Amino acid sequence: MFIDVLIVGIMVGAIYTLVTIGYSMVYGMLKLMNFAHGDVYIFGTLLCYTLLAQAHLPPLLGILIAALAGGILASMVEFFAYRRLRAAQHRMISMITALGAAYVIQNASELRWGSQVLPFPSLFPSQLVTVLGHQISVTPIITLAIAVFFIVAFNLFLNHHKMGKAILCVSQDIPTSSLMGIPINRIISMVYFLGGMMGVVGGILYSASYNAISLGMGFRGTIVAFTAAVIGGIGSMSGTLIGGMILGISENIISVYVSSSYRDSIMFLVLIVILLIKPTGIMGKVEQDKL
Amino acid sequence: MTLRIKKNRLLLYAGLLACAIVLPFVVRDPYFIGMVNFIIIYSILCLGLNLILGYTGLLSLGHAAFYGIGAYATAILMTKHGFSFLPSLIVSGLLALFFGFLLGLPTRKVRGDYFCLLTIAFGEIFRLVTQAWINFTGGAMGIVGIPIPELAGWKIQTEIDFYFLGLGLLGFTYGTLHLLTESKFGRAFVAIREDELAASVMGINTPMYKILTFSIGSLYAGIAGSYLAVYQTTVTPSNFRLEESCLMIIMVIVGGMGNLAATFLGVSVMAVAIEFFRPVPEYRLLIIGLIMILVLLFRPQGLLGASAFKD
Amino acid sequence: MALLETDRLWKKFGGVTAVQDIALSIEKGEILGMIGPNGSGKTSFINLLSGIYRPDKGNITFIGEDITGLPAYHITKKGIARTFQNLRVFPNISVLDNLLIGRHCRVNNSLANIYLNPFLSRKREKEAEDRVIELLDWVHLADRRKELAKNLPYGEQRLLEICRALASEPQLVLLDEPCAGMNPVEMDTLAAFLKNLRDRGTTLFIIEHNMRFIMSIAERIVVLDAGTKFREGSPVQIQNDKEVQRIYLGEEEDA
Repeated sequence: MFIDVLIVGIMVGAIYTLVTIGYSMVYGMLKLMNFAHGDVYIFGTLLCYTLLAQAHLPPLLGILIAALAGGILASMVEFFAYRRLRAAQHRMISMITALGAAYVIQNASELRWGSQVLPFPSLFPSQLVTVLGHQISVTPIITLAIAVFFIVAFNLFLNHHKMGKAILCVSQDIPTSSLMGIPINRIISMVYFLGGMMGVVGGILYSASYNAISLGMGFRGTIVAFTAAVIGGIGSMSGTLIGGMILGISENIISVYVSSSYRDSIMFLVLIVILLIKPTGIMGKVEQDKL
Repeated sequence: MTLRIKKNRLLLYAGLLACAIVLPFVVRDPYFIGMVNFIIIYSILCLGLNLILGYTGLLSLGHAAFYGIGAYATAILMTKHGFSFLPSLIVSGLLALFFGFLLGLPTRKVRGDYFCLLTIAFGEIFRLVTQAWINFTGGAMGIVGIPIPELAGWKIQTEIDFYFLGLGLLGFTYGTLHLLTESKFGRAFVAIREDELAASVMGINTPMYKILTFSIGSLYAGIAGSYLAVYQTTVTPSNFRLEESCLMIIMVIVGGMGNLAATFLGVSVMAVAIEFFRPVPEYRLLIIGLIMILVLLFRPQGLLGASAFKD
Repeated sequence: MALLETDRLWKKFGGVTAVQDIALSIEKGEILGMIGPNGSGKTSFINLLSGIYRPDKGNITFIGEDITGLPAYHITKKGIARTFQNLRVFPNISVLDNLLIGRHCRVNNSLANIYLNPFLSRKREKEAEDRVIELLDWVHLADRRKELAKNLPYGEQRLLEICRALASEPQLVLLDEPCAGMNPVEMDTLAAFLKNLRDRGTTLFIIEHNMRFIMSIAERIVVLDAGTKFREGSPVQIQNDKEVQRIYLGEEEDA
């Protein structure tokens, strides 16, 4: 039994990593807490629900469209709400704007889909497999594999593709990257776009596993991203992975063996503890104030 | 200040006070008074928040939690322990002050952005705890049947009664905050907002001042919560969601960060806007969100705020 | 007894030693200058003195009292004020308020005062305002006191920052490159102002790159190189020192 819990935990961890990547990149690059992050990709997931469960599109097509929509929505939010405020004197101003964007998207989603829990269809038939004398479900393993695939693919993209490397440059130093001829605005749009896309993929995998999708998952999704990013350390891929995994596995274990109604409280407590002890996270570097 | 300006100021205040006292007798519509009471509660809340956010520059998304702490304290004391209103009010305020103090402690170590997360976590934990701890807080149903408050024989029951109570609390809030912000403390808060390092070099004990601003700002939220408890006669967790904190933030911003008097303006404008959209509650969040974005994009200093926030 | 003394002061950042074993004393009533190539640790040193950095090793004594490791605000209270290399006035606040903030630790007003005795509190505030306006009068900025600091011309903002430091009635003022960005006329005005300040009893410690300026007003000069105290002497001695020339010229040769 424990092995099941562990596998599901790892699966959730991988999904959390996937949805956190977009948030973490944006924060690492622009120091902006994108409060709208969760609501954006839940919007995409809800769209996928409509495409799959109601329009009966073939799954791959539905997922693709939803992911693209999520990515486009994410970059649109950046373009309309955040871009102008990048140079603002007080950083909290763009944080509050992000909150506003979150509300707009949340409300729009609610108008379309309501706030109840909708039955998201499974993507893979459930099958049991016998390994080492235990019967375990194959679905979480497949989901995990897909999530890992995207994480690895994105990592390869960042490190080997021209645009990925440009993203890494911009993450480190915007003025210098700009002087090197990198189109900053385009790169930033791309970061939001990719982050949104991966968030949607993660959201879809999650909803398919639990056969549930609802509006409320948007806010929760944002908190998950915050918490995973804080635990693991902002701005580093390995940090995001570590944070996502720790959060996913511990959450699952606690929710199964302790109590599931306190699941959210525990996540917030973890967040608080980490913020108080080492806010830069496990892999993060302590930043020095430049004088 | 010249004597003439001082006299004019005094006349202005006296005039405003007279208008305020006469208002409920001139406009007898209880619905209108009800809306004014709404403005009064949120003014008390937002004045405290303006101290934290507008003057000191700390983004706190957990202000509703202190509102809730005050409300629940009064509710529990009055329903389960037979306290009368005034002691409950005082306890509410002090309890909120205490928790504000606690929340202010991490500002020493935790940087601005991360601190914002902390305030969200704090607010959410408060809400989750009030929902889960059914024996103490009544869970999702909350606490009902809060008795009618009495102050030295004056039973506070009608909208007009509550109006005067609210006015008194508001006067206390504004008066004490005005004294604070027009002093070296107010300047210190602003210095911290503008350039914390330079502020510390000016001789300002920045960690202590940040804790101070949180404690004091939260005190007023506790008072507002106490008022809410007796006004609504019920308190439920849904009164104190993150959404509430965000609404307060936008009220402070629209009025003007760093300007106490502007808070009234911000609260009133948003209250009217919300009233306006009352027939379409399904668009409420959308409108709040849009206002937040538009105000910050085009007029971050709000209507009357400190020029520090102009683009 | 020296006004301020440092003893074997060390500060490291990761692998870089910014300040290495510096022993320095500043005499009361003098103008001590510090020069050195870029990266020699001058700003780190001033940050150590003003309490922004804590030294890894060594101590700092001020008027006979050990102030090592005290936080910045406490050091200001003790009587040491400073300005910043890259001008850190509060741009969106009025000139008057900038100075009043500078005077913060000398305004004797507690919370109890403010709430329980508002008339006394108002009197104290007025006193502070009067003292600060005196300062502004001295530099001819009094009639601009309601203006936002950012609207002042650059030279006057620099002057404002120095006045802000003076508002706390310090015994020692640390100036980090006070004439950066100034033209020769402004520099001469500043030099005269600083000498006047010294004559009135304030001790000055000045980090400066501009040789003409520092040689004209400093009585003693300390040269820093790679975090260590390289030389110490009168302006004439330093100017003629071949080694000092080398550490500056040596930089050019590499470039």
